[in-house]
Amino acid sequence: MSETMNALQKKAEAMLTADHCLSCTSCMSSCPVMEASKEYRGPKLVGPAHNRMRFSQEDVEESLDFCSNCKSCDRACPSGVEVSTLNMLHRAEYYRTHPHSQRDDMLAHGERMAKRVRMLPFGATFANLGMKIGKCFGIFGSMGIAGERDMPAYASSSFLSMFKGISQKPSEKKVVFYPGCFINENDPEVGVAFVKVMQKNGYEVLVDEKFNCCGSPLVVTGYLDEALEHAHNNVARILEWKKKGIPVVACCTSCSLMLKKEYGELFDEEEMKEAATNVYDAFEFLAMLEEEGKLNTEFKSLSQSLLYHVPCHLKSQGFGTPAARILGKIPGVKVELADAGCCGMSGNYGFKQDKYEISMKIGEELFGRIKTANADKVISDCGTCRLQIQHGGHVEPCHPIEILEKAY
Amino acid sequence: MKHSDTIVIGSGLAGLMAAYTSVRQGKTVTLLTTGSGSLSLNSGVIDVLGFDGNHEFVASPKEGIKSLPEDHPYKKIGMDMLEKAVDEFLAFTKEYGFPYHGSLEKQIMVPTAVGTMKPTCLAPQSLDGAAFEGKSKVVIVGISGLKDFYGDIIQENIRPLLGENLSYEVVMVDAGLEGGRDVTTLDAARWLDQDKGMAALVNALKPHASGNAVFLLPQILGTSGESVAIALREKLGAEVIETTCLPPSVNGLRLQKMFHQALMKLGVDIIEDTKVLRAVTKGSKCTAVVAQAAAREKTYEADKFILATGGFYSGGITMREFEKPREMIFDLPVWFVPGEENWSNEQLFSDKPQGFAKTGIRTDESLRPVDDSGKVVFDNVYVIGRNLGGYDFCFEHSGNGVALASAYKAVMM
Repeated sequence: MSETMNALQKKAEAMLTADHCLSCTSCMSSCPVMEASKEYRGPKLVGPAHNRMRFSQEDVEESLDFCSNCKSCDRACPSGVEVSTLNMLHRAEYYRTHPHSQRDDMLAHGERMAKRVRMLPFGATFANLGMKIGKCFGIFGSMGIAGERDMPAYASSSFLSMFKGISQKPSEKKVVFYPGCFINENDPEVGVAFVKVMQKNGYEVLVDEKFNCCGSPLVVTGYLDEALEHAHNNVARILEWKKKGIPVVACCTSCSLMLKKEYGELFDEEEMKEAATNVYDAFEFLAMLEEEGKLNTEFKSLSQSLLYHVPCHLKSQGFGTPAARILGKIPGVKVELADAGCCGMSGNYGFKQDKYEISMKIGEELFGRIKTANADKVISDCGTCRLQIQHGGHVEPCHPIEILEKAY
Repeated sequence: MKHSDTIVIGSGLAGLMAAYTSVRQGKTVTLLTTGSGSLSLNSGVIDVLGFDGNHEFVASPKEGIKSLPEDHPYKKIGMDMLEKAVDEFLAFTKEYGFPYHGSLEKQIMVPTAVGTMKPTCLAPQSLDGAAFEGKSKVVIVGISGLKDFYGDIIQENIRPLLGENLSYEVVMVDAGLEGGRDVTTLDAARWLDQDKGMAALVNALKPHASGNAVFLLPQILGTSGESVAIALREKLGAEVIETTCLPPSVNGLRLQKMFHQALMKLGVDIIEDTKVLRAVTKGSKCTAVVAQAAAREKTYEADKFILATGGFYSGGITMREFEKPREMIFDLPVWFVPGEENWSNEQLFSDKPQGFAKTGIRTDESLRPVDDSGKVVFDNVYVIGRNLGGYDFCFEHSGNGVALASAYKAVMM
């Protein structure tokens, strides 16, 4: 047994949860990948059952590759087994002895690529052009990336550079915004809306340029050592802010889940759990203001029907759907929950050519719901969910914070 | 803090029924749940009382309940509430498009995956063994690769029950599900959700169909409602019956899906993936519960709390030390059968009850928890479903009946 495996077994909390599995099949009933593909043997066998086998021998479970880390299994489990985290640990172990593809390297390292692009003059423009040309010539397809999809375009300026241009009213009450890669590079308007919303609630928003990618794309592609480096950096930063009494808030639910929960499950270090207590999802934070009667509810009327796709990684945070409640308070706004399961995108999963069909099949229910609901706007907190909604639902969705910003 | 009229903890049948009934009464309801609830592991048919204390078959649940001991949950619930709960449930299933039928007067006999017939009180049409009546041919339909459904075993067991004057045959259908993982009933049901799956099944079964034939299938007739069962019956021009099966239970999932749709539509705030840790109390009142979310605890206030955490079987009650059971949220007094020798009988599948199975919380007539002296512990906490002490649902076949009726009564109190 490898050194890493020994270390993991000593450390990871997730490994210990495997023995709580009673083989009840609750996870199998709720796994969207199993529903879409019969090749995946399913969370129960691939996660906890396979984990038991690992004590006796090195073994490779081929269908592990199908897990999208959407965490539906973890949510379904009545016994607290961290099934998807087991899968990610096993995946990382696999890639210690097997080479990564160029595609996985690319999908895992979006942050590295973005940094290179941003260093060049007009880098974003040329990179976007390059991606369009690349798509036309099938270059992405030849790399194993789903040619049907557009790669997310770089925004002309990143959130962090736009942030410098926002003049804020200073306040004693402060939060640090954790934009994450997608909002920073591709969808900075979400971050801008967040800053405006917080200003309306009497908060000054800070950023911390020393944060790096939360590591979610690294974890799901099996680059666990790199993810651990990211975790150490981010956790140290979060703890610095905690010392100052300033919470860290994220709008991307996969980032917030990673910072709040997955670091602890994957790496089981005390500091990670301590840091987690200083991290909030944006609407979780706003809901806490609301509960204290401190949420600014002087809303303009908006006259809009919203269909809300709740991301899996928000459901896994265990605080319900406060965005639906808060947006529902805006005069003229009607929020309906899509309640159509996983969208099928799961971060970079849907970008993999060999998973594209599964990804779209999982999304079918949501696409159908979008069509029949005929809402004015589809909203979702997760950036890659929004990409899937755009691709398969043929609408332009936005983050719920952008609706709230419009109401002020 | 978030305040609701009623908080329901747990999303098995008892919790879902309590949330549904409560929101229908005009209450604001928050449902707190960890895990997906037990319905995917549950046949989803409503057993009210199949066997009495001597394990004698009960022909009429309504009559059978009369002879139950005074400390049985049904005696606290009362016949009036049980009847109203059944009415409410039947109306709900009708309104949301997957009607159950049956009554407290007599049992429905449901075929099982080993070819026995089990009594239940309420069931959807597709599971009702009454469809065997007056038929002369039973066609047992197996799906290639499907686990835990073996035509020959079923035939061997069901022949003596239905009679040798009927003819029997076993037909295997290839659903194209083999070659990957183990095939479950859920896979086959999803296959039949699609038109091409339905067409393939009709094709395979049509040569065996006639007006006096009954097709006996595993629980695969679609993942929601009864539309697949109706369509198949029409296309074959013959009766179709499903058996109960091992989990994942397709019929339990159908019922769960229908409840979920209703709760969403009626505006129940469902907070999933959050384990309720403890209660905040003030004297004999509970004011809030504290639940674990990612990285932090959240507090939920309410006027009324309904505890549906599944008792011994689902972690609502645990016993880490022998004879020291604990209810995990309110630390309610838990009743149990004392004495190691009375704890269990050695033969797990015998026709004797299991002492441990009766472990649970004792309540007053309103289903509020009481201590040893019969004094109510909390005025606004109600205990339902498998948390209730004093009955062995496996032995009696009374699990879902107690769940429904106790949920209904707790809401009405």
